[in-house]
Amino acid sequence: MTSATSALSVRNATKIFGAQVALDNVSIDVAAGEVRALVGQNGCGKSTLIKILAGFHEPEPGIEVLVGGESLALGDPIASEAAGLRFVHQDLGLVGNLDTVDNLALGQGYITNATKTISWRKERAKAREALAALGYEINVSMPVAGLQMSERTAVAIARAMSERGTPPKMLILDEPTANLPGPEAQRLYQLVRRVADSGVAVLFVSHHFDEVFEMAESVTVLRDGKLIETRAVAGLTEDELIELVVGRKLEEHDKGEAADREHGTQVLQLSGVGGRNVSGMDLTVHRGEVVGVAGITGSGREEVAALVFGGHERSGEITVDGKTLPQNRPDISIDRGVALVPAERHANASLLDQTLRENITLVDPGRHMSLGILRRNPEKADVRVWLDRLSVKPSGQTEYNMNQLSGGNQQKVILARWLRQEPTVLVLDEPTQGVDVGAKADIHTLVDEAAAQGAAVLVCSTDHEELVRVCDRVVIMRRGKAAEILRGDKITAENITAATIGRDTAEPAA
Amino acid sequence: MSEIQEVAAPRRRINFGFDKYSGIYVWALLVLVFALWIPDLFLQTSTVKQVLTFQAISAIVALGLILPVAAGAFDLTIAGTLTVSVCFTAWALTNGYGIVVAAGGSILIGIIIGLANSLVVVKLKVNSFIGTLGMSSILIAIAYMITDSSQIVLSTSGYAPFFEFARTELFGLPLSVYYAALIALVFWWILEYTPGGRYLYAVGGNPVASRLAGVRVGRVTMIAFIASGASSAFAGIVYLATIGTATPDSGSGYLLPAFSAVFLGATQIRPGRVNVLGTLVAIFLLATGVTGLQLAGAPSYVTQLFNGAALIVAVALAARTARRQA
Repeated sequence: MTSATSALSVRNATKIFGAQVALDNVSIDVAAGEVRALVGQNGCGKSTLIKILAGFHEPEPGIEVLVGGESLALGDPIASEAAGLRFVHQDLGLVGNLDTVDNLALGQGYITNATKTISWRKERAKAREALAALGYEINVSMPVAGLQMSERTAVAIARAMSERGTPPKMLILDEPTANLPGPEAQRLYQLVRRVADSGVAVLFVSHHFDEVFEMAESVTVLRDGKLIETRAVAGLTEDELIELVVGRKLEEHDKGEAADREHGTQVLQLSGVGGRNVSGMDLTVHRGEVVGVAGITGSGREEVAALVFGGHERSGEITVDGKTLPQNRPDISIDRGVALVPAERHANASLLDQTLRENITLVDPGRHMSLGILRRNPEKADVRVWLDRLSVKPSGQTEYNMNQLSGGNQQKVILARWLRQEPTVLVLDEPTQGVDVGAKADIHTLVDEAAAQGAAVLVCSTDHEELVRVCDRVVIMRRGKAAEILRGDKITAENITAATIGRDTAEPAA
Repeated sequence: MSEIQEVAAPRRRINFGFDKYSGIYVWALLVLVFALWIPDLFLQTSTVKQVLTFQAISAIVALGLILPVAAGAFDLTIAGTLTVSVCFTAWALTNGYGIVVAAGGSILIGIIIGLANSLVVVKLKVNSFIGTLGMSSILIAIAYMITDSSQIVLSTSGYAPFFEFARTELFGLPLSVYYAALIALVFWWILEYTPGGRYLYAVGGNPVASRLAGVRVGRVTMIAFIASGASSAFAGIVYLATIGTATPDSGSGYLLPAFSAVFLGATQIRPGRVNVLGTLVAIFLLATGVTGLQLAGAPSYVTQLFNGAALIVAVALAARTARRQA
């Protein structure tokens, strides 16, 4: 691990924001052709390190960064790019209504002929070639919004890997498979392998341990801004890695008790419900029961939560405690005791530049009103209780803005908003998307507690381990219908995955 | 977008502790400059009175505009609504209707304009900037229809009771100033201390998230437009009672200052969101600058110059505040 042969060598990276040490004297080396995972809980310093490399943050003095043995000027995105560092962010940075050719050209300009007219034929050939090198064969003239997620990721990587003056030495990916269903993730693993085989080092940030174990040769763990360890993935177990990340052992979850839990009366009932992708869906959820909804993208899984909550137009009938929920009226659904923690919290749930207090009390801001005035102190006290109960970090900061928190803590704030309503039906859509392991475990415990207190809980998720962890029953969506139900010890990640892609491993839906 | 913002992020944050109140400091500085430059003209109670009186109408218009902007919608009809209100009130008074009918009818027209705006924006889903731009052209046409393309002059003797509505003085200031203060108080209370204010800011912050949290986004937007329409109509009544003449371009000078004040106000007191106190600071900051320059002998177009520059500076400052918070 001498820096002379390293594609990237970082010495003594420190970054302080105000009173907070975001990154504390971290050093890492990545060899050419190596695939390295960078893991840690939200707020551990991963993003800070990446942003220093990208030139967005200026680190504290004392740092030294070598790219391919040459010193990198910090704090300048153009210098990072010129040195051969290439970044693909989680949102990919593609323009959805432009095709692959245009998206690739965004970084590097078009091939033009003598009259400065774009040569579309050459452009298309070049785009096809760039993607073929990554093992993808796609229609390069189609708007990228119409491509599969893994194909879009491939386009973004192809763009990052293009020459642009200097050849790329290192590819840095942020959560590359966060939004990919199983088979598509597999394709991406192969792609990353090809990139590494071409001699480029790959560093990827991840919360998904399956991608760490499938893709990476080595893994660097950060915790609280400090480097904990860098070690080879070979010989490392998942439990060991979790322990490194969290700094403690996670509690073993006793599945037996949850499965045997006595369920109460029927609370939520769907009959003949249909939407854009869903049709004729029937489902009953009982008091105190946690029901999971699994399915590949396009199966209707992604629509179920919105249909139940009334966020979408729909057919069929949904009742809560016998009362019908009207479609398209989330406010009435809330009055009837339904709560929704939607997927994609930034777009669907957060008021990013408003305080945690305003985010939490949004559903019912008038609770602390007296004599025509909202009383801020009782409201703060109320919110503080919920922040503590969900152990939101930093603790007790009711006046922090939402965008000052890490992703896992933002998700907890959204959960707090709804738990505060003491819902009869709690609907969660991808509840731990982009959330670190510690927060994930906390959120799962909160789901258990909500059910124990009598809520009927519906969890829609692509994270099959998560469904295994929290659910009493898992409904498998296929082609818009509830195709199968898994119960008891049939609920395993393998069975769920198999069922979602249509293999018969369980009883048909009743 | 986000990349551009991130590039700017490494710049060190310099904070002298008066970020929120910079407007007040600038205002104090302006007062000091003019007090030293033209003490004989500037340091007069008549100057204070002039600033307050002239700004009462602007303030009422700007205060009304705060609500739709808080809810994320532009309302470009404010000046047109004021004009229609001025013309309708003058027409009603000169055609023998009483003050109550003239003023009441005017407010009702303001409410109807607000409803029409929300119909265009909420139901027809037209972008609020474009929708209210179109509406404001229609309103100007209506003003021409009412006045028959000329002006209506109310004689001071004939309409004395109406003029008293704005001109009567209390503790040395005309009633119009108190109306502006009262409206400011009511909107401040709504925005800061009622659930309605929370809903307005929530809809402005993220309409999708607000809807999924049970907020009736369409209804909130509609109420914001109605409040804005009614405020502008009321400002029209005060305008007529102050000036005494109605023309189809009475309100043309009120659009830009209102936007300048609201956006400049969003950098003050509660940086990052439009708010009542910030808007008031902005109005008096702009008025002091303009009045001082005019007293010092600057030509009359300095008003336009000052307001236009202030709008651009305000929006640039607001973008900077947003970046810092991110």
